[in-house]
Amino acid sequence: MSGTLFGVTLPVRRGFSVPIQLVEWNGITAWLVEDRNLPVVSLAWAWGGGAALDPEGREGRAGMAAALLSEGAGDLRANAFSDSLRDAGIGLGFGAGRDGFEGSFRSAVDALPEALAPRPPRHDRAASWTPMRSDRVKARAVRGARQAQETPPGLARQAFWERPFPGHPPGRLATPESLAAVTVEELRAGLAEQLRQGGVMLTAAGDIDPAGLRAAMAQLFEGLPAGRAARRAAAARHGPLRHRPAGKGGRAVHPALRPGRPGARGCRLGSLPGRLRILAGGGFTSRLTKTVREERGLTYGIGAGLDLLFGRAIVAGHVRPTTPRWRGVALVREGWASMAAEGRPRPRWRRRWPSWAAPCPCSSPTAAAPPRCCWAAAGRARAEWLAGAATASRR
Amino acid sequence: VDRPLFGAVSWTLGNGLRVVLAENKRAPVAAHYLYVSAGAGEDPAGKSGVAHFLEHMMFKGSPNVPSGAFSRTVSGEGGQDNAFTSRDVTAYFQIVEATRLPLMMRMEADRLGGAIIPQAEFDPERNVVLEERRSRTDSVPQGRFREAFDAAMWGPQHWRGRPLIGWEPEIRAITRDDLAAFHAAHYTPANCVLIVAGDVREADLRRWADEFYGPVPRRPVSPRNRPNPPAAAPEARLVRRDPAVREASFLRSFAAPSATWGTTAMADPLEVVAHVLGGGPGSRLHAALVESGLATGAGASYDGDTLGVGSLTVFATPRPGTTQEQIEQVMAAQLARLLQEGVSEAETRRAVRQQTVGALLALDGLGAAPRMIGGSLAIGLPLEDVEHWPARMAAVTAAQATEAARHVLAAPGPATAGWLLPA
Repeated sequence: MSGTLFGVTLPVRRGFSVPIQLVEWNGITAWLVEDRNLPVVSLAWAWGGGAALDPEGREGRAGMAAALLSEGAGDLRANAFSDSLRDAGIGLGFGAGRDGFEGSFRSAVDALPEALAPRPPRHDRAASWTPMRSDRVKARAVRGARQAQETPPGLARQAFWERPFPGHPPGRLATPESLAAVTVEELRAGLAEQLRQGGVMLTAAGDIDPAGLRAAMAQLFEGLPAGRAARRAAAARHGPLRHRPAGKGGRAVHPALRPGRPGARGCRLGSLPGRLRILAGGGFTSRLTKTVREERGLTYGIGAGLDLLFGRAIVAGHVRPTTPRWRGVALVREGWASMAAEGRPRPRWRRRWPSWAAPCPCSSPTAAAPPRCCWAAAGRARAEWLAGAATASRR
Repeated sequence: VDRPLFGAVSWTLGNGLRVVLAENKRAPVAAHYLYVSAGAGEDPAGKSGVAHFLEHMMFKGSPNVPSGAFSRTVSGEGGQDNAFTSRDVTAYFQIVEATRLPLMMRMEADRLGGAIIPQAEFDPERNVVLEERRSRTDSVPQGRFREAFDAAMWGPQHWRGRPLIGWEPEIRAITRDDLAAFHAAHYTPANCVLIVAGDVREADLRRWADEFYGPVPRRPVSPRNRPNPPAAAPEARLVRRDPAVREASFLRSFAAPSATWGTTAMADPLEVVAHVLGGGPGSRLHAALVESGLATGAGASYDGDTLGVGSLTVFATPRPGTTQEQIEQVMAAQLARLLQEGVSEAETRRAVRQQTVGALLALDGLGAAPRMIGGSLAIGLPLEDVEHWPARMAAVTAAQATEAARHVLAAPGPATAGWLLPA
């Protein structure tokens, strides 16, 4: 598009694409964005499962296991492991989400052999965990669970997931009690169930070629058991949500509200992201920001976006009202209703689409971004979608 | 470590506006930041929150850009925009496809030259600011405590003791004229730094800077007069009990030299001290409090890249069953050990290595260059301070770190210890 705005002539956009190579090792397919501009390498990988595999009464087990993996590997004490990574400038982390278990690292290319070889960020070293180390991680997790209940958003988040998914994995959140009940043996058993060669999704970006990535994949995944983690639970239908205060009064003077709706399957999102952006997403220009914040000053932040859960999208919104009887609720409902009545975005709105249709390269051109973006896209799009005009090549 | 980190080039326009370009060709994207060398530290007495309120109102229109049109235009062009206020600066930024940079410069220069601050939108926006305060501070126990802690240490009307967003009664008292006066006093080209990072050529940026920012009239710059810290903290000890709190936490903070105040040569050594003391696993406080099982978390931080007095802070979150006395005793013992034994050469080298080895990663994105360069230039530090930061840190010795630690921990000055406890 070209034209003039505020007296400035707008040239035709330059265009941009991210060439993606598909790299295979031992049945695992990785997406690689090779970028030689900077000697930095970034990898991210994930399995389905995560908190969905937590047994009843042990909610938070996967998250604790991820924290332990981030703390140490092999025979090194946690401090020595952490120091060795920081000495080499290696960023390593594991995490467990509602339906996935993830790992990632980023380092200077010079440090890659060190990152992978003598002190590898392996995930099969649970045998070295001691009760003392797991006790420390558990104490930190319990503190986090308790602190999450100190604020209105923390309470609202808990209610948002518990009420529509009672008894179902996404509705069973970690509590101080469930975390305290997890034993070292249960952590080991959980990882043995979770970490398999099957079902790994991996993305890489930066100064690494397909051969180098294959070697890294071998370092990361060789020795893991074959097969996949237990089948993920099918998503329960998201029940109706009504506007109900989640806090109990007291000092919770500023309650939070999270409206939510079940959405389409991830791979059939169609124009939904665009419609959401117009209604409630992205910066200061959405309809709800205008009607609730700008025109009436009823809140500081209001927004909505898509959350993916078991391959389905959930439309999740957030706002921090002034009081439990907040008059902005009607405005939010009106906004949702009018958007639903209007249906697909009008042509004039499509002018805004670049900001969400191709957010990865334009919004954050870092070595870390492609893995995150690819992971976000995994399961809901082909590599070609992210690559733009370029065709993904299998190497 | 001798090479400049970003390789940025810099020049000054006729009206005094400093322009910096950090070229980065990895993607056809440009980050455009305008730093104003005025933040909450410049709020008039009794009118805390003016700098931040003005930041909000800067999106309400300028002579040639109607209210709300700035963000709509950025969004329409597929970009992102926002702004932030700190004690030292107010900054406005956009990240856009590189061909849209001139459009951003056109709009930003327009509001630098003259913000409208429409009266009709003033009161609704004040409500938004009050809502922001409620959501960030009033409804968050840690936020309420941190605000009270700063006021206890520096005084509620000292520039370091006032909240950036402002005290609620003072936000309510701010008038449109207050904002207009702040804009007139501080939003002058010679008091600003423009930083562009991304896929942009120097010749193009020079031409666009002259075209769009050059016509903004030069106006006198108001001096920044930051009062010195009080001789002692108004409250040396603060204990707050809060019914919403479930986990206790402890803070202890000391006034310290910064990169611009006091013995400025101690700023880099104090970065080392904070890392040795509490820079994550491997640090002294982590070993003494976390590894020992007394706390779930412990650490230290140094706030030294600031205009005026800085601070060195230690903190801990005790585990259930650990008493307040135990935490304070162990903390005091570690500080006494630092005073007595100082910092070893091995600890110094480890701290420097861990803090600088990741410097390369700052190039892996567009945000680091504008934020690091803008934050430094806006408080009067030279560009070289940022470009050669890893080399500067590598030159820090154990003796310097020890001297800096003793200077802060043993010298008289404001210091406060505080507990946030469940009710």
